[in-house]
Amino acid sequence: MKIIIHPFSRKLRNGKLNPKVYPHWISLVKLLKGYDHAIVQVGEEGEEHLVDDFRTLSLKELKRLILEYDTFICVDSFLQHLAWRLSKSGIVLFGQSDPKIFGHEENINLYSDEKYFRQYQFQTWEECEYIKEAFVTPEEILKCINNNNNNNNNNNNDIC
Amino acid sequence: MKEILCSIATRGRYDTTLPLALASIINQTKLPDHIIIFDDNDEDKRIDLREKEVYRNLLLMIELKGITWQVIFGERKGPQYNHQIANTFGYKWVLRVDDDTILEPNVLQTLYNKATTEENVGAVGGCIITPWWNFSVEERNKSSNKIEDIYSTPNKQWFPIIDTEEVDHLHCSFLYRAGVCDYNLQLSPKGFREETLFTYEFIKRGYKNFIIPCKTWHLKASEGGIRGVNDEEMYIYDEEIFRKNIDCGKLCVLNNGIGDHLVFESILPELINKYKKLTLAVCYPDVFEDYNIPLISIADAEKITNIDRYNIYKFMADRNWKNSLQEAYKTLYL
Repeated sequence: MKIIIHPFSRKLRNGKLNPKVYPHWISLVKLLKGYDHAIVQVGEEGEEHLVDDFRTLSLKELKRLILEYDTFICVDSFLQHLAWRLSKSGIVLFGQSDPKIFGHEENINLYSDEKYFRQYQFQTWEECEYIKEAFVTPEEILKCINNNNNNNNNNNNDIC
Repeated sequence: MKEILCSIATRGRYDTTLPLALASIINQTKLPDHIIIFDDNDEDKRIDLREKEVYRNLLLMIELKGITWQVIFGERKGPQYNHQIANTFGYKWVLRVDDDTILEPNVLQTLYNKATTEENVGAVGGCIITPWWNFSVEERNKSSNKIEDIYSTPNKQWFPIIDTEEVDHLHCSFLYRAGVCDYNLQLSPKGFREETLFTYEFIKRGYKNFIIPCKTWHLKASEGGIRGVNDEEMYIYDEEIFRKNIDCGKLCVLNNGIGDHLVFESILPELINKYKKLTLAVCYPDVFEDYNIPLISIADAEKITNIDRYNIYKFMADRNWKNSLQEAYKTLYL
């Protein structure tokens, strides 16, 4: 499969790690490479490159890429919304934000446990502590990718 | 019916621009019949104009030119109260003049000619030029006095006017048909947008408003002024009244991330369907490049409204929102 990954959310003003950022990207990318998936990483200059094919794109270019690729894996970032507008589904890695509010049911929204959802969903991320356990494991993501191959249109895909 | 009343509302400008404004009225090629100076100064700061040499001379010149005059002490309820008194004073036309403006000598003659030779004129104004403002040609080209453009384009009267043009509303100083429309007395003492509301009322009643080539200088004196009350709450309050009274379209403010813009974009077709005019204040204009919708910056939106009211996260937090972000946008805007 041709997969877009968008691993990082915006940097926080207090310099801390954004609690939306998935903690196991390196392991996940390693697993994906084992299945010969073609992976392109999109992001901003200065972000860590997890794969060789790293691109910083305009909105227009990113739209073209999303349409060209099979699916995507991203954190709770703008990419899920852009892909949703283009009717492309993928996997969104949630941690402490509630996918019923911030996600789209057309995607596979993965999270570890609802108990990690923030009590106040609308406070700023600067006010929130990072919780590594809030995320699913790379193996669970890989399982979804492999199961979901060519099955991009399922509804009610929240999985924990 | 008496023909032309000139009204000037003033506060805190006895020793700066008020004498200049009066002198420019005296030097008009067509003179008003009567001048009312609405003195909105605090009681302890009021003076009898005749006690000052400059006014003694100016008032004498006014009398020598056959114009009657009077001073009415205002109640500091805002310019709209003073203007409403002038509006109902029994004259056919009222020339309203700001206390920091200087009219070129032909202004009243030019405005009056237009008002009396065209049928159904509600109000007519010239350009209002601030000497130290430096607008670009681009801004001038996109300027408008259409009510639906009020949030997105500069006012045409801020630039030299070359041709007479029919407009929706007028600004600052102009000549209007008295006793037809009322000033909105619900506005705060700041009277924000009082002249826009007033002059657009003529359009609603089937009259025509014009801008016409003639020039008034607007000095925008740094001190004093009839709207001198500096209260953000009043500004917001007046803006609310303005929006309720005038169908200037829907303003949506996206002071948030690009993802939030994209979710908002999903409801845009419904918004376009519902509102004949939309203006979007955005951080990421690229998201809307395929739409023919006026976009303004967040900084510009802050000048016209309290953008906090459009904060989608605050909106959801206040309602303990459990539904989707898209539904929140629909509830806020549709």
